Amino acid sequence: MQHTVTWLDRLRIERVVWSLDQRLYDLPSRTRVARRREVRVNLLAAAAEVGAAEAVQRLGDARALAEEYLAAELGDGPRHSWTAALVFLFGTPLLLNFFLSEATNAYQQALTAPGGHADGAYSWNGVTWLQNPLDFVVHQGQVTHTGGAWSPLVYVLLLVGAVACGRLWRALPRRRSPRPTASADGLGG
Amino acid sequence: MTSSHDPQLLKGVLSLLLLHLLAEQESYGYEVAQRLQAAGFADVLEGTVYPALARLEREGRLATRLVASSSGPARKYYRLTEAGHEALAAGAAGWSRHVAGVDAVLSRPLPITPQRKGS
Repeated sequence: MQHTVTWLDRLRIERVVWSLDQRLYDLPSRTRVARRREVRVNLLAAAAEVGAAEAVQRLGDARALAEEYLAAELGDGPRHSWTAALVFLFGTPLLLNFFLSEATNAYQQALTAPGGHADGAYSWNGVTWLQNPLDFVVHQGQVTHTGGAWSPLVYVLLLVGAVACGRLWRALPRRRSPRPTASADGLGG
Repeated sequence: MTSSHDPQLLKGVLSLLLLHLLAEQESYGYEVAQRLQAAGFADVLEGTVYPALARLEREGRLATRLVASSSGPARKYYRLTEAGHEALAAGAAGWSRHVAGVDAVLSRPLPITPQRKGS
């Protein structure tokens, strides 16, 4: 029996496709888009035949499906993760900036504390290894500061951390062990 | 055909089944899943079939082409490559040996009364 695919059905299908797509970010962009389109087309065909609810149900859990796709495309076993690398690369600066700004604020508050320092220029070496020196100017209780940029080591650590978090060396072209050939019990499927 | 299959056993032969179905006729993902279900594997979900097709494609056993559809976006049709035909032949031969070996064991007569240790 043919079913009419309504806009509501399409929205339901799009939600499933989107949910799957969000879990396929470790695939090359072209492959991810191709898989997304294929699943959408198949779901639309299934929805026209058995209804959207049944079609979505028969596709199974999006998380499990994504895992199957990742294993199919990237191979079984440990894999690299661009997502993890990006989370580290963008998440760490937020935390680091928060930490460095708190340290700067603490130094600044010490300068302006009652009974503290008089007007003048002060220098602080910053957080060791992570920061360039900071220069503070106190004038009538108001403090301005310059400097305090990340040290080159921070950039190195960010790069190394991103590679380590994402296990990005696994993305490098490498000599793979031979794929299973057609065997007596099937095809290694 | 039974209505349900051992998932582990099915996982081992799914690629072989897909290769055979696609050797019979070029199909797109949902159509392959339907043909598989029509062949008696009603409990095989589409979500199992699509990644298996992707794996076979990555392994170079399937080739694809987009075919325009009157009822929606273009569909991705799968067909066997030369390597796919070779894999199908090797897999089918392997499966025959496997079945023959299992049959040979299962066809042995069993003792009428169960044997007890030490009796």
